[in-house]
Amino acid sequence: MRVIHCFGLMVLTAAAQGPPARPARVVPPARIVSFTAKPESIQAGQPVVLVWATENPNGVTIDPDVGRVAARGSRQIFPSTSTTYTLKVTGPQDSLLTKSVTVTVAGTAAGAVSKAAPPKDARMPDGKPDLTGVYGFAGVRGLAEPELKPGAEKYKVDRSGHFVGGRTTLGTDCVPLGVPQTFVTPYPFQIVQKQNFLVMLFEYPNTFRFIPLDGRPHSADPDPTWMGESVGRWDGDTLVVDTIGFNTKTEVSGYLHSEALHVVERYHRVANGLQYDVTVEDPNVFQKPWVFPSRVLPARPDEERVDEFVCENNVDYGKFFGKDDKK
Amino acid sequence: MKLRLMALAIALGTMPLATPGFAHHSTAMYNMTNPVTVTGVVKRFEWVNPHAYIYLEVTDESGKKVEWQIEMMSLNHLKSYGWTHATVKPGDTISCTGGAAKSGDPAMLSSLVKLADGRTIKS
Repeated sequence: MRVIHCFGLMVLTAAAQGPPARPARVVPPARIVSFTAKPESIQAGQPVVLVWATENPNGVTIDPDVGRVAARGSRQIFPSTSTTYTLKVTGPQDSLLTKSVTVTVAGTAAGAVSKAAPPKDARMPDGKPDLTGVYGFAGVRGLAEPELKPGAEKYKVDRSGHFVGGRTTLGTDCVPLGVPQTFVTPYPFQIVQKQNFLVMLFEYPNTFRFIPLDGRPHSADPDPTWMGESVGRWDGDTLVVDTIGFNTKTEVSGYLHSEALHVVERYHRVANGLQYDVTVEDPNVFQKPWVFPSRVLPARPDEERVDEFVCENNVDYGKFFGKDDKK
Repeated sequence: MKLRLMALAIALGTMPLATPGFAHHSTAMYNMTNPVTVTGVVKRFEWVNPHAYIYLEVTDESGKKVEWQIEMMSLNHLKSYGWTHATVKPGDTISCTGGAAKSGDPAMLSSLVKLADGRTIKS
């Protein structure tokens, strides 16, 4: 998992009531808190659970077999031969920490190489790519301004004076962001793929998309919703998702839209994630289809699932805002 | 009242957003350019999205106890730093470093926490 912190670590270590102190760059060191295998001796075919805990890592891997993992976690493995597992933690200033545990499998030699990690090119029984997994977000770079229809200037989001026309610009109301805006929010999402449908689970704000893959057309008159009505199909190894049926409460990169919003997305698996291409149309707002630059939604093999997300503590912010900040 | 978007958090869809730390809402209500450190006793730890919170009882220079609201990152970021729901617990004496609320309220957006046993961890 990425560990860059936007708020930075350039801090002043001053007492709250004291005079300003000189800036000091505080970068806490990476640590291995623990790394164990339970049990450490087994018969062939029996399970072992690796359990690890690290702090302040830039990256964590366990070799062999396991690969990239989260800062803390556990993983059940079935070593067929005696194997030494090594936890590697990278930290600030290119620091590297390691800790190893050896699992002894009765009747096999210690230090033997275990089986390789599972292939990354997972496929469904019908040969189509299986995109199941957790992915991160990606900001949009180099997006050209859309060409607006005459009279459509009102759809441009005005953020002056701390006022936001679109309710879901940055998810501050904890409502779904719509498509493709949902892929710029800094929380992961998860794909669960079956033969005839695919589900996207978004950590923020615990919303979802259901995408049938059985060749059905759109509904004749879909209900307007935050995330729209999607249908999917395969173009070779590329998943194409066509979505209509949006309500008008979301924005698309600085522009509101009408219920005629039509989004076509293309997901193509690449080495480090999903290449994401999207085209946005709205005949009431844009003169022509608005084509977004390609970007990659990074794979998150260290994550098994998205988390619960409940916006109950948003109410704490109100008192920090001045009058101008209220809608 | 719900959180309102501030100017700092604009144009998410078009800005070159590179870090996951640009999370959820603006930092504009916090003085991030002049961070401070507060030390106190943990009264409550909210391990929830969109942001975790520590409520810290801080004794000021006059001896008065003030409860600070310490905002941290979202759970996915905190977990990447090694946090769990048990990293801090009520009764722990900890120090939090970050930007204090510009309003003067006892609140902070914390970027670093010194735990009861002296370990420091990003927040």
